[in-house]
Amino acid sequence: MDLVLQLLFTGIGIGAVYALVALGFVLIFRATNVVNFAQGEFSMVAAYLMVVCVELGLPYWLSFVIALAGMALLGVIFNLGVYYPLRHRTYLPVIIATIGASILLSNSVLAIYGPQPQVLQGWFETPGIQLGPVYLDSQYLLIIGVTILLVLFNFWFFEKTLLGKKLQATSQDKEMASLLGISVSTMIMITFIYSAVLGGLAGILVAPVLFVSIQMGSTIALKAFAATIIGGFGDVAGAIVGGLALGVIETFGAAYISVPYKDGFAFLVLIAFLVFRPQGIFGERVAEKA
Amino acid sequence: MPLLEIRNLVVRYGEIEALRGVTIAVEQGQVVTLLGANGAGKSTTLRAISGLAKPASGDIMFDGQSIAGLGPEAIVRLGISHVPEGRRVFPGLTVKENIMLGASNRKVGASQISREADAMFDLFPDIRAFSNALGWTLSGGQLQMVAVARGLMAKPRLLLLDEPSLGLAPVIVQAVFRIISQIRKDTTVLLVEQNARMGLSVADHGFVLETGRIVLGGKPDELWGNEAIAAAYLGGHAKSHA
Repeated sequence: MDLVLQLLFTGIGIGAVYALVALGFVLIFRATNVVNFAQGEFSMVAAYLMVVCVELGLPYWLSFVIALAGMALLGVIFNLGVYYPLRHRTYLPVIIATIGASILLSNSVLAIYGPQPQVLQGWFETPGIQLGPVYLDSQYLLIIGVTILLVLFNFWFFEKTLLGKKLQATSQDKEMASLLGISVSTMIMITFIYSAVLGGLAGILVAPVLFVSIQMGSTIALKAFAATIIGGFGDVAGAIVGGLALGVIETFGAAYISVPYKDGFAFLVLIAFLVFRPQGIFGERVAEKA
Repeated sequence: MPLLEIRNLVVRYGEIEALRGVTIAVEQGQVVTLLGANGAGKSTTLRAISGLAKPASGDIMFDGQSIAGLGPEAIVRLGISHVPEGRRVFPGLTVKENIMLGASNRKVGASQISREADAMFDLFPDIRAFSNALGWTLSGGQLQMVAVARGLMAKPRLLLLDEPSLGLAPVIVQAVFRIISQIRKDTTVLLVEQNARMGLSVADHGFVLETGRIVLGGKPDELWGNEAIAAAYLGGHAKSHA
């Protein structure tokens, strides 16, 4: 039982990272009808920004702020450079452009920083606390705490603010949104900035747990992508639930079945969903057509 | 000076010329109805006015200013609100949220918009009970009410209504047209209809479009007197519409 609780804690911690990246996937998908294959690279770039700032001797909190600001800027550049020129085309050129951007980002970091994985310290001095039978790693606690705050913020922002409603309207019918005077290009810009920051946050939070490497983005992104499908593609709650579920499943799979196959469990679950419930946990709650 | 004046408007979709030199004028305070069969260019005319379709040539003047080539976001800020074909109510937002977003062309605070949206239910009492229902759960008539209410939230000087009666039961059509005759007290309306009888019943002036050209224009009485119209739109003809 103690082991189960311990694994559950770790699983939710790693799942929260998948959930944040998955949320970024879903928000961009809903706004632009395109899967952003560079979403994982947002996490990787942010983690490297963090490593650079910390190595320069900046305080941890300042490095954190700079890295997130850098991600907001990357969101702007990404939107203007990758999405905006192709916005009137079909989804295919845009998807290919995001793949191109992902290759560009990872190879740029490789060229600047080299192939050696880097180590990023955690935020806290204390490694963790013992709570009864369960050892709570401080970095996982941070990840879970930040994710809870972000999910609450996300709900408030999209459900309670007029700007959130405008973003939803834009994702549901761009032409109608523009007829009402909603600036569609501004809404999409906000979406890219928000998604880049979400992805960056996930990367910074998970960096002390994993190594900071060129490949970390694609690993996280694949899991997050699987999470969005498991949750129900395009569904915000689905992305979060799917991410958490995936983290728990792969942690338990690694502990009870096989460690080398850890990454495989996520994709086994993905395949099972694609075969038996392709609409995901939350399915299509909003009918396609009014 | 008319509020809206369209001169020799040509709109092309690729090779197809949807409008081939349309000229109409809408005076302040009028209801003007644009009649015509499917594919005559009625919706395209509205789409060109609201900025969704780019004119190939010709001009669109609103209140003395050319708006041809402006984007839809800029045009609705000038005071032209377009309620498009198919209602286009946001399916994942509630009725109230849909209506509130109609004010996106104006700079007003969220609480003010919320009050205005509540007041809008006085004009549309039938949808008041559905205020918190999601768009996709509504019936066709309810969707039309929401679409018109949302269009009015822009406080337009000119309201473009595209086929408000399409697909609705006769009793609902009458409710929609009662609302149009109420709206006309404050707002100029350019109405597109296949239902000539209803369309002309509220109009000060009518135009008939045929394959991208205006073939007739005049007061409703004059149009009723025209045998071609009677033949084409009031029965006994392949193009007739119930």
